[in-house]
Amino acid sequence: MLTEQSAYSNRWRRITPVAKGTFSLCGMIAAFSCASSTAALAVALVIATATILGAGVPILCYLRIAVPALFFLLASGLSLAVSVDFSSTLPAGTVLRLATSELPRVAYICSRSLACLAALLFMTMTTPLTDMISLLRRCHVPDTLLDLMTLCYRTLFVLSEATRETMVAQSARLGYSTLRISLRSLGGMIANLALQVWQRSQALHLAAQARNNDGALRFLEPDYPDAPRSISIATAAGGIMIALTLALP
Amino acid sequence: MHIMEGFLPATHALGWSAASAPFVAYGLRTINKRITENPEQRMLLGVAAAFTFVLSALKLPSVTGSCSHPTGTGLGAILFGPTAMAPIGMVVLLFQALLLAHGGLTTLGANIFSMAIVGPFAAAAIFRIAKAALLPFGVSIFLAASCADFLTYITTSAQLAFAFPDPVGGFSVSFARFAGVFAITQLPLAIIEGLLTVVVMNALVRFNNRELQVMNVTDVPVVREAQL
Repeated sequence: MLTEQSAYSNRWRRITPVAKGTFSLCGMIAAFSCASSTAALAVALVIATATILGAGVPILCYLRIAVPALFFLLASGLSLAVSVDFSSTLPAGTVLRLATSELPRVAYICSRSLACLAALLFMTMTTPLTDMISLLRRCHVPDTLLDLMTLCYRTLFVLSEATRETMVAQSARLGYSTLRISLRSLGGMIANLALQVWQRSQALHLAAQARNNDGALRFLEPDYPDAPRSISIATAAGGIMIALTLALP
Repeated sequence: MHIMEGFLPATHALGWSAASAPFVAYGLRTINKRITENPEQRMLLGVAAAFTFVLSALKLPSVTGSCSHPTGTGLGAILFGPTAMAPIGMVVLLFQALLLAHGGLTTLGANIFSMAIVGPFAAAAIFRIAKAALLPFGVSIFLAASCADFLTYITTSAQLAFAFPDPVGGFSVSFARFAGVFAITQLPLAIIEGLLTVVVMNALVRFNNRELQVMNVTDVPVVREAQL
Protein backbone atom coordinates (compact mmCIF):
# COMPACT_ATOMS: atom_id res chain seq x y z
CA MET A 1 0.00 0.00 0.00
CA LEU A 2 1.28 3.44 -0.96
CA THR A 3 0.24 5.00 2.34
CA GLU A 4 2.28 2.45 4.25
CA GLN A 5 5.31 2.88 1.99
CA SER A 6 5.25 6.60 2.53
CA ALA A 7 4.60 6.23 6.29
CA TYR A 8 7.73 4.12 6.71
CA SER A 9 10.02 6.10 4.42
CA ASN A 10 9.27 9.78 5.12
CA ARG A 11 11.61 12.19 6.93
CA TRP A 12 9.31 12.52 9.95
CA ARG A 13 9.05 8.77 10.53
CA ARG A 14 10.93 9.05 13.87
CA ILE A 15 8.91 12.00 15.18
CA THR A 16 6.53 11.03 17.95
CA PRO A 17 3.00 10.22 16.69
CA VAL A 18 1.62 12.45 19.48
CA ALA A 19 3.12 15.49 17.71
CA LYS A 20 1.86 14.42 14.28
CA GLY A 21 -1.56 13.55 15.71
CA THR A 22 -1.76 16.95 17.41
CA PHE A 23 -0.91 18.82 14.19
CA SER A 24 -3.40 16.73 12.22
CA LEU A 25 -6.13 17.34 14.81
CA CYS A 26 -5.38 21.08 14.76
CA GLY A 27 -5.66 20.95 10.95
CA MET A 28 -9.12 19.44 11.20
CA ILE A 29 -10.20 21.99 13.84
CA ALA A 30 -8.85 24.77 11.61
CA ALA A 31 -10.78 23.34 8.64
CA PHE A 32 -14.03 23.47 10.61
CA SER A 33 -13.20 26.94 12.00
CA CYS A 34 -12.84 28.47 8.53
CA ALA A 35 -15.47 31.04 7.63
CA SER A 36 -14.77 30.97 3.89
CA SER A 37 -13.74 28.50 1.23
CA THR A 38 -10.57 30.53 0.56
CA ALA A 39 -9.43 30.07 4.16
CA ALA A 40 -10.20 26.33 4.01
CA LEU A 41 -8.22 26.01 0.78
CA ALA A 42 -5.32 27.87 2.44
CA VAL A 43 -5.41 25.36 5.33
CA ALA A 44 -5.38 22.47 2.84
CA LEU A 45 -2.42 24.03 1.02
CA VAL A 46 -0.42 24.59 4.24
CA ILE A 47 -0.95 21.00 5.44
CA ALA A 48 -0.22 19.49 2.01
CA THR A 49 2.98 21.58 1.82
CA ALA A 50 4.03 20.35 5.26
CA THR A 51 3.45 16.75 4.12
CA ILE A 52 5.27 17.06 0.80
CA LEU A 53 8.09 19.51 1.60
CA GLY A 54 8.39 18.94 5.36
CA ALA A 55 8.01 15.19 5.62
CA GLY A 56 9.43 14.59 2.15
CA VAL A 57 6.53 12.53 0.85
CA PRO A 58 6.97 12.21 -2.96
CA ILE A 59 4.40 14.39 -4.69
CA LEU A 60 3.43 11.62 -7.14
CA CYS A 61 2.79 9.23 -4.28
CA TYR A 62 0.70 11.94 -2.53
CA LEU A 63 -1.34 12.56 -5.66
CA ARG A 64 -1.92 8.84 -6.30
CA ILE A 65 -3.54 8.55 -2.89
CA ALA A 66 -5.34 11.89 -3.01
CA VAL A 67 -6.79 11.67 -6.54
CA PRO A 68 -9.31 8.82 -5.91
CA ALA A 69 -10.50 10.69 -2.82
CA LEU A 70 -10.77 13.89 -4.88
CA PHE A 71 -12.95 12.12 -7.46
CA PHE A 72 -15.12 10.96 -4.59
CA LEU A 73 -15.28 14.54 -3.33
CA LEU A 74 -16.25 15.72 -6.83
CA ALA A 75 -19.10 13.19 -6.94
CA SER A 76 -20.25 14.23 -3.46
CA GLY A 77 -20.06 17.91 -4.44
CA LEU A 78 -22.06 17.30 -7.62
CA SER A 79 -24.77 15.54 -5.65
CA LEU A 80 -25.06 18.67 -3.52
CA ALA A 81 -24.96 21.03 -6.49
CA VAL A 82 -27.91 19.49 -8.33
CA SER A 83 -31.48 20.17 -7.34
CA VAL A 84 -34.58 18.12 -8.12
CA ASP A 85 -37.48 19.85 -9.80
CA PHE A 86 -40.60 17.83 -9.02
CA SER A 87 -42.94 20.41 -10.50
CA SER A 88 -41.62 20.03 -14.01
CA THR A 89 -44.25 19.93 -16.72
CA LEU A 90 -41.94 18.05 -19.05
CA PRO A 91 -42.97 14.52 -20.05
CA ALA A 92 -40.00 13.09 -18.14
CA GLY A 93 -41.55 14.41 -14.89
CA THR A 94 -38.73 15.01 -12.42
CA VAL A 95 -35.74 17.02 -13.64
CA LEU A 96 -32.24 17.38 -12.15
CA ARG A 97 -30.90 20.96 -12.42
CA LEU A 98 -27.68 22.67 -11.39
CA ALA A 99 -28.59 24.82 -8.39
CA THR A 100 -26.51 27.94 -9.06
CA SER A 101 -27.62 29.60 -5.83
CA GLU A 102 -26.15 26.66 -3.90
CA LEU A 103 -22.73 26.84 -5.54
CA PRO A 104 -21.01 29.05 -2.87
CA ARG A 105 -22.19 26.68 -0.13
CA VAL A 106 -21.02 23.65 -2.13
CA ALA A 107 -17.64 25.32 -2.71
CA TYR A 108 -17.30 25.96 1.04
CA ILE A 109 -18.21 22.37 1.98
CA CYS A 110 -15.85 20.91 -0.62
CA SER A 111 -12.94 23.13 0.42
CA ARG A 112 -13.52 22.24 4.10
CA SER A 113 -13.55 18.59 3.09
CA LEU A 114 -10.34 19.12 1.14
CA ALA A 115 -8.65 20.68 4.20
CA CYS A 116 -9.77 17.75 6.38
CA LEU A 117 -8.51 15.30 3.75
CA ALA A 118 -5.12 17.05 3.75
CA ALA A 119 -4.99 16.74 7.56
CA LEU A 120 -5.90 13.04 7.35
CA LEU A 121 -3.26 12.40 4.67
CA PHE A 122 -0.67 14.25 6.75
CA MET A 123 -1.23 11.78 9.58
CA THR A 124 -1.51 8.62 7.50
CA MET A 125 1.40 9.35 5.15
CA THR A 126 3.85 10.21 7.91
CA THR A 127 2.86 7.70 10.60
CA PRO A 128 2.79 3.89 10.31
CA LEU A 129 -0.41 2.28 11.53
CA THR A 130 1.43 0.43 14.33
CA ASP A 131 2.45 3.84 15.75
CA MET A 132 -1.13 5.05 15.50
CA ILE A 133 -2.33 1.97 17.40
CA SER A 134 0.27 2.74 20.11
CA LEU A 135 -1.07 6.30 20.21
CA LEU A 136 -4.63 4.99 20.63
CA ARG A 137 -3.40 2.72 23.46
CA ARG A 138 -2.07 5.82 25.24
CA CYS A 139 -5.50 7.42 24.74
CA HIS A 140 -6.99 4.47 26.73
CA VAL A 141 -8.93 2.96 23.82
CA PRO A 142 -10.28 -0.46 25.01
CA ASP A 143 -7.83 -3.36 24.65
CA THR A 144 -10.34 -5.50 22.74
CA LEU A 145 -10.69 -2.86 20.03
CA LEU A 146 -6.89 -2.45 19.84
CA ASP A 147 -6.48 -6.23 19.57
CA LEU A 148 -8.96 -6.25 16.69
CA MET A 149 -6.97 -3.48 15.01
CA THR A 150 -3.62 -5.16 15.58
CA LEU A 151 -4.81 -8.52 14.26
CA CYS A 152 -6.60 -6.90 11.35
CA TYR A 153 -3.49 -4.95 10.37
CA ARG A 154 -1.16 -7.93 10.67
CA THR A 155 -3.34 -10.30 8.66
CA LEU A 156 -4.82 -8.07 5.99
CA PHE A 157 -1.62 -8.22 3.93
CA VAL A 158 -1.60 -12.03 4.19
CA LEU A 159 -5.22 -12.24 3.07
CA SER A 160 -4.61 -9.66 0.31
CA GLU A 161 -1.76 -11.80 -1.01
CA ALA A 162 -3.94 -14.94 -0.89
CA THR A 163 -6.68 -13.03 -2.76
CA ARG A 164 -4.25 -11.83 -5.42
CA GLU A 165 -2.82 -15.31 -5.98
CA THR A 166 -6.28 -16.90 -6.19
CA MET A 167 -7.45 -14.27 -8.67
CA VAL A 168 -4.39 -14.81 -10.87
CA ALA A 169 -5.04 -18.57 -10.86
CA GLN A 170 -8.74 -18.02 -11.64
CA SER A 171 -7.99 -15.50 -14.40
CA ALA A 172 -5.50 -17.93 -15.99
CA ARG A 173 -8.41 -20.38 -16.26
CA LEU A 174 -10.73 -17.71 -17.80
CA GLY A 175 -12.52 -17.36 -14.47
CA TYR A 176 -13.50 -13.77 -15.17
CA SER A 177 -14.47 -14.00 -18.85
CA THR A 178 -18.19 -13.27 -18.43
CA LEU A 179 -20.34 -11.65 -15.76
CA ARG A 180 -21.86 -14.97 -14.71
CA ILE A 181 -18.50 -16.75 -14.47
CA SER A 182 -17.00 -13.71 -12.69
CA LEU A 183 -19.66 -13.88 -9.98
CA ARG A 184 -19.10 -17.60 -9.55
CA SER A 185 -15.31 -17.23 -9.38
CA LEU A 186 -15.54 -14.31 -6.97
CA GLY A 187 -18.00 -16.22 -4.78
CA GLY A 188 -15.75 -19.30 -4.72
CA MET A 189 -12.76 -17.17 -3.83
CA ILE A 190 -14.55 -15.35 -0.99
CA ALA A 191 -15.80 -18.68 0.39
CA ASN A 192 -12.24 -20.01 0.30
CA LEU A 193 -11.02 -16.83 1.97
CA ALA A 194 -13.67 -17.19 4.69
CA LEU A 195 -12.37 -20.70 5.38
CA GLN A 196 -8.83 -19.32 5.60
CA VAL A 197 -10.09 -16.82 8.22
CA TRP A 198 -10.95 -19.70 10.54
CA GLN A 199 -7.86 -21.76 9.74
CA ARG A 200 -5.48 -18.83 10.17
CA SER A 201 -7.18 -17.64 13.36
CA GLN A 202 -6.84 -21.16 14.81
CA ALA A 203 -3.15 -21.19 13.91
CA LEU A 204 -2.69 -17.73 15.48
CA HIS A 205 -4.50 -18.83 18.63
CA LEU A 206 -2.26 -21.90 18.97
CA ALA A 207 0.84 -19.75 18.41
CA ALA A 208 -0.31 -17.25 21.04
CA GLN A 209 -1.09 -20.04 23.52
CA ALA A 210 2.34 -21.56 22.94
CA ARG A 211 3.76 -18.20 24.09
CA ASN A 212 1.54 -18.11 27.21
CA ASN A 213 -0.60 -15.29 25.87
CA ASP A 214 -3.72 -14.92 27.95
CA GLY A 215 -4.70 -11.30 27.47
CA ALA A 216 -4.24 -8.27 25.29
CA LEU A 217 -1.67 -8.33 22.49
CA ARG A 218 1.13 -5.95 23.42
CA PHE A 219 4.22 -4.93 21.48
CA LEU A 220 7.34 -2.98 22.38
CA GLU A 221 6.94 0.69 21.60
CA PRO A 222 9.85 2.57 20.01
CA ASP A 223 11.45 5.58 21.69
CA TYR A 224 11.12 8.88 19.90
CA PRO A 225 13.96 11.40 20.26
CA ASP A 226 13.05 14.93 21.42
CA ALA A 227 9.39 14.02 21.89
CA PRO A 228 8.51 17.03 24.16
CA ARG A 229 10.13 19.43 21.67
CA SER A 230 8.27 17.87 18.72
CA ILE A 231 4.96 18.06 20.58
CA SER A 232 5.58 21.73 21.49
CA ILE A 233 6.40 22.65 17.87
CA ALA A 234 3.38 20.75 16.52
CA THR A 235 1.06 22.34 19.09
CA ALA A 236 2.40 25.83 18.34
CA ALA A 237 2.11 25.34 14.55
CA GLY A 238 -1.39 23.90 14.89
CA GLY A 239 -2.44 26.67 17.28
CA ILE A 240 -1.18 29.37 14.91
CA MET A 241 -3.07 27.74 12.05
CA ILE A 242 -6.33 27.72 14.04
CA ALA A 243 -5.78 31.33 15.18
CA LEU A 244 -5.17 32.46 11.59
CA THR A 245 -8.31 30.74 10.30
CA LEU A 246 -10.33 32.40 13.07
CA ALA A 247 -8.80 35.78 12.23
CA LEU A 248 -9.35 35.46 8.48
CA PRO A 249 -12.65 36.85 7.17
CA MET B 1 -21.05 4.13 0.41
CA HIS B 2 -18.75 6.32 2.47
CA ILE B 3 -19.27 9.95 3.37
CA MET B 4 -16.14 11.90 2.53
CA GLU B 5 -13.79 13.30 5.19
CA GLY B 6 -14.93 16.72 6.46
CA PHE B 7 -18.12 16.64 4.39
CA LEU B 8 -20.59 16.70 7.29
CA PRO B 9 -20.96 19.76 9.56
CA ALA B 10 -19.25 19.40 12.96
CA THR B 11 -22.55 19.02 14.88
CA HIS B 12 -23.71 16.20 12.60
CA ALA B 13 -20.32 14.48 12.73
CA LEU B 14 -20.43 14.55 16.54
CA GLY B 15 -24.10 13.56 16.63
CA TRP B 16 -23.61 10.47 14.46
CA SER B 17 -20.55 9.50 16.49
CA ALA B 18 -22.65 9.73 19.65
CA ALA B 19 -25.39 7.66 18.00
CA SER B 20 -22.93 4.94 16.96
CA ALA B 21 -21.01 4.80 20.26
CA PRO B 22 -23.59 2.72 22.25
CA PHE B 23 -23.74 0.09 19.50
CA VAL B 24 -19.96 -0.17 19.32
CA ALA B 25 -19.76 -0.33 23.13
CA TYR B 26 -22.41 -3.06 23.24
CA GLY B 27 -20.63 -4.92 20.43
CA LEU B 28 -17.36 -4.74 22.36
CA ARG B 29 -19.11 -6.06 25.47
CA THR B 30 -20.51 -8.96 23.43
CA ILE B 31 -17.07 -9.66 21.96
CA ASN B 32 -15.49 -9.59 25.44
CA LYS B 33 -18.07 -12.12 26.60
CA ARG B 34 -17.38 -14.31 23.58
CA ILE B 35 -13.63 -14.09 24.19
CA THR B 36 -14.04 -15.01 27.87
CA GLU B 37 -16.06 -18.10 26.92
CA ASN B 38 -13.95 -19.01 23.86
CA PRO B 39 -10.49 -17.38 23.89
CA GLU B 40 -9.85 -18.38 20.25
CA GLN B 41 -12.60 -15.94 19.22
CA ARG B 42 -10.16 -13.06 19.81
CA MET B 43 -8.05 -14.18 16.85
CA LEU B 44 -11.08 -15.13 14.79
CA LEU B 45 -12.72 -11.72 15.07
CA GLY B 46 -9.42 -9.93 14.37
CA VAL B 47 -8.86 -11.97 11.22
CA ALA B 48 -12.55 -11.46 10.35
CA ALA B 49 -11.91 -7.70 10.37
CA ALA B 50 -9.04 -8.22 7.90
CA PHE B 51 -11.34 -10.42 5.80
CA THR B 52 -13.99 -7.69 5.69
CA PHE B 53 -11.33 -5.12 4.74
CA VAL B 54 -10.02 -7.31 1.90
CA LEU B 55 -13.61 -8.03 0.82
CA SER B 56 -14.38 -4.32 0.60
CA ALA B 57 -11.34 -3.82 -1.63
CA LEU B 58 -12.44 -6.43 -4.18
CA LYS B 59 -13.75 -5.21 -7.50
CA LEU B 60 -17.28 -6.31 -8.17
CA PRO B 61 -18.34 -6.83 -11.82
CA SER B 62 -21.15 -4.44 -12.61
CA VAL B 63 -23.89 -4.64 -15.21
CA THR B 64 -23.06 -1.13 -16.35
CA GLY B 65 -19.53 -2.22 -17.27
CA SER B 66 -17.88 -0.25 -14.48
CA CYS B 67 -16.58 -1.71 -11.23
CA SER B 68 -17.67 -1.23 -7.66
CA HIS B 69 -16.86 -2.73 -4.27
CA PRO B 70 -18.92 -5.01 -2.02
CA THR B 71 -19.66 -3.81 1.52
CA GLY B 72 -19.64 -7.30 3.05
CA THR B 73 -22.06 -6.20 5.76
CA GLY B 74 -24.65 -8.88 4.95
CA LEU B 75 -22.12 -11.70 4.77
CA GLY B 76 -20.36 -10.50 7.93
CA ALA B 77 -23.63 -10.25 9.87
CA ILE B 78 -24.63 -13.80 8.85
CA LEU B 79 -21.19 -15.29 9.62
CA PHE B 80 -20.17 -13.39 12.74
CA GLY B 81 -23.40 -11.86 14.08
CA PRO B 82 -24.67 -8.25 13.86
CA THR B 83 -23.48 -7.14 17.30
CA ALA B 84 -19.88 -8.17 16.57
CA MET B 85 -20.06 -6.38 13.23
CA ALA B 86 -20.31 -2.91 14.87
CA PRO B 87 -16.73 -2.96 16.32
CA ILE B 88 -15.43 -4.99 13.35
CA GLY B 89 -17.04 -2.50 10.97
CA MET B 90 -15.55 0.36 12.96
CA VAL B 91 -12.05 -1.10 12.61
CA VAL B 92 -12.57 -1.72 8.89
CA LEU B 93 -13.88 1.80 8.27
CA LEU B 94 -11.04 3.30 10.31
CA PHE B 95 -8.50 1.32 8.28
CA GLN B 96 -10.16 2.34 5.02
CA ALA B 97 -9.82 5.98 6.09
CA LEU B 98 -6.22 5.61 7.28
CA LEU B 99 -4.84 3.31 4.58
CA LEU B 100 -6.93 4.23 1.54
CA ALA B 101 -8.21 7.77 2.35
CA HIS B 102 -11.66 6.31 1.76
CA GLY B 103 -14.22 7.82 4.15
CA GLY B 104 -12.70 9.79 7.00
CA LEU B 105 -12.15 10.32 10.70
CA THR B 106 -14.68 13.14 11.14
CA THR B 107 -17.32 11.12 9.28
CA LEU B 108 -16.40 7.81 10.95
CA GLY B 109 -19.45 7.91 13.25
CA ALA B 110 -21.87 8.48 10.38
CA ASN B 111 -20.24 5.78 8.26
CA ILE B 112 -20.27 3.32 11.18
CA PHE B 113 -23.97 4.00 11.70
CA SER B 114 -24.91 3.28 8.10
CA MET B 115 -22.47 0.48 7.24
CA ALA B 116 -21.64 -1.25 10.52
CA ILE B 117 -24.93 -0.84 12.38
CA VAL B 118 -27.92 -0.42 10.04
CA GLY B 119 -26.55 -2.80 7.37
CA PRO B 120 -25.66 -5.78 9.61
CA PHE B 121 -28.70 -5.45 11.89
CA ALA B 122 -30.99 -5.20 8.86
CA ALA B 123 -29.30 -8.24 7.28
CA ALA B 124 -29.67 -10.31 10.45
CA ALA B 125 -33.32 -9.26 10.94
CA ILE B 126 -34.29 -9.91 7.31
CA PHE B 127 -32.50 -13.28 7.37
CA ARG B 128 -34.47 -14.32 10.47
CA ILE B 129 -37.76 -13.11 9.02
CA ALA B 130 -37.06 -14.97 5.75
CA LYS B 131 -36.21 -18.11 7.74
CA ALA B 132 -39.41 -17.77 9.76
CA ALA B 133 -41.35 -17.37 6.52
CA LEU B 134 -39.76 -20.67 5.38
CA LEU B 135 -38.22 -19.09 2.30
CA PRO B 136 -35.47 -21.12 0.59
CA PHE B 137 -31.94 -20.62 1.99
CA GLY B 138 -30.64 -18.90 -1.16
CA VAL B 139 -33.57 -16.48 -1.27
CA SER B 140 -33.12 -15.64 2.43
CA ILE B 141 -29.43 -14.92 1.93
CA PHE B 142 -30.10 -12.85 -1.20
CA LEU B 143 -32.78 -10.77 0.54
CA ALA B 144 -30.62 -10.25 3.64
CA ALA B 145 -27.49 -9.17 1.73
CA SER B 146 -29.15 -7.00 -0.92
CA CYS B 147 -31.58 -5.33 1.52
CA ALA B 148 -28.66 -4.63 3.91
CA ASP B 149 -26.83 -2.93 1.04
CA PHE B 150 -29.96 -1.05 0.01
CA LEU B 151 -30.70 0.13 3.58
CA THR B 152 -27.08 1.23 4.00
CA TYR B 153 -27.44 3.46 0.96
CA ILE B 154 -30.82 4.77 2.15
CA THR B 155 -29.28 5.60 5.55
CA THR B 156 -26.38 7.46 3.94
CA SER B 157 -28.83 9.42 1.79
CA ALA B 158 -30.84 10.28 4.92
CA GLN B 159 -27.67 11.36 6.76
CA LEU B 160 -26.72 13.68 3.91
CA ALA B 161 -30.28 14.98 3.63
CA PHE B 162 -30.31 15.78 7.37
CA ALA B 163 -27.03 17.64 7.01
CA PHE B 164 -27.94 19.47 3.81
CA PRO B 165 -31.73 19.95 3.62
CA ASP B 166 -33.11 21.60 0.51
CA PRO B 167 -33.59 25.37 1.10
CA VAL B 168 -37.19 25.15 -0.18
CA GLY B 169 -38.37 21.55 0.13
CA GLY B 170 -36.42 20.62 3.27
CA PHE B 171 -35.41 17.09 4.23
CA SER B 172 -37.74 15.15 1.92
CA VAL B 173 -36.66 16.91 -1.28
CA SER B 174 -33.02 16.66 -0.29
CA PHE B 175 -33.44 12.95 0.53
CA ALA B 176 -35.07 12.33 -2.86
CA ARG B 177 -32.20 14.17 -4.54
CA PHE B 178 -29.43 12.14 -2.81
CA ALA B 179 -31.28 8.83 -3.08
CA GLY B 180 -32.03 9.50 -6.75
CA VAL B 181 -28.44 10.37 -7.63
CA PHE B 182 -26.97 7.40 -5.74
CA ALA B 183 -29.59 4.89 -6.93
CA ILE B 184 -27.93 4.75 -10.36
CA THR B 185 -24.92 2.92 -8.93
CA GLN B 186 -26.19 1.52 -5.64
CA LEU B 187 -29.27 -0.45 -6.76
CA PRO B 188 -27.41 -2.68 -9.27
CA LEU B 189 -24.64 -3.03 -6.69
CA ALA B 190 -27.10 -4.24 -4.03
CA ILE B 191 -28.49 -6.88 -6.41
CA ILE B 192 -25.03 -8.07 -7.44
CA GLU B 193 -23.82 -8.22 -3.83
CA GLY B 194 -26.93 -10.23 -2.95
CA LEU B 195 -26.17 -12.73 -5.72
CA LEU B 196 -22.51 -12.88 -4.72
CA THR B 197 -23.40 -13.58 -1.08
CA VAL B 198 -25.65 -16.46 -2.19
CA VAL B 199 -22.74 -17.95 -4.18
CA VAL B 200 -20.40 -17.54 -1.18
CA MET B 201 -22.80 -19.09 1.35
CA ASN B 202 -23.68 -21.96 -1.00
CA ALA B 203 -19.98 -22.70 -1.49
CA LEU B 204 -19.36 -22.55 2.28
CA VAL B 205 -22.28 -24.84 3.07
CA ARG B 206 -21.36 -27.25 0.29
CA PHE B 207 -17.62 -27.51 0.83
CA ASN B 208 -16.96 -26.29 4.39
CA ASN B 209 -20.03 -27.27 6.35
CA ARG B 210 -17.97 -29.22 8.87
CA GLU B 211 -15.79 -26.15 9.57
CA LEU B 212 -18.87 -23.97 9.93
CA GLN B 213 -20.25 -26.29 12.61
CA VAL B 214 -16.93 -27.15 14.32
CA MET B 215 -15.95 -23.50 14.66
CA ASN B 216 -19.45 -22.68 15.92
CA VAL B 217 -19.17 -19.30 14.25
CA THR B 218 -22.29 -19.33 12.20
CA ASP B 219 -25.79 -20.14 13.31
CA VAL B 220 -25.77 -23.96 13.13
CA PRO B 221 -29.51 -24.37 12.42
CA VAL B 222 -28.96 -22.19 9.34
CA VAL B 223 -26.43 -24.67 8.03
CA ARG B 224 -28.69 -27.62 8.82
CA GLU B 225 -31.56 -25.90 7.11
CA ALA B 226 -29.40 -25.25 4.09
CA GLN B 227 -28.58 -28.90 3.81
CA LEU B 228 -32.25 -29.80 3.44
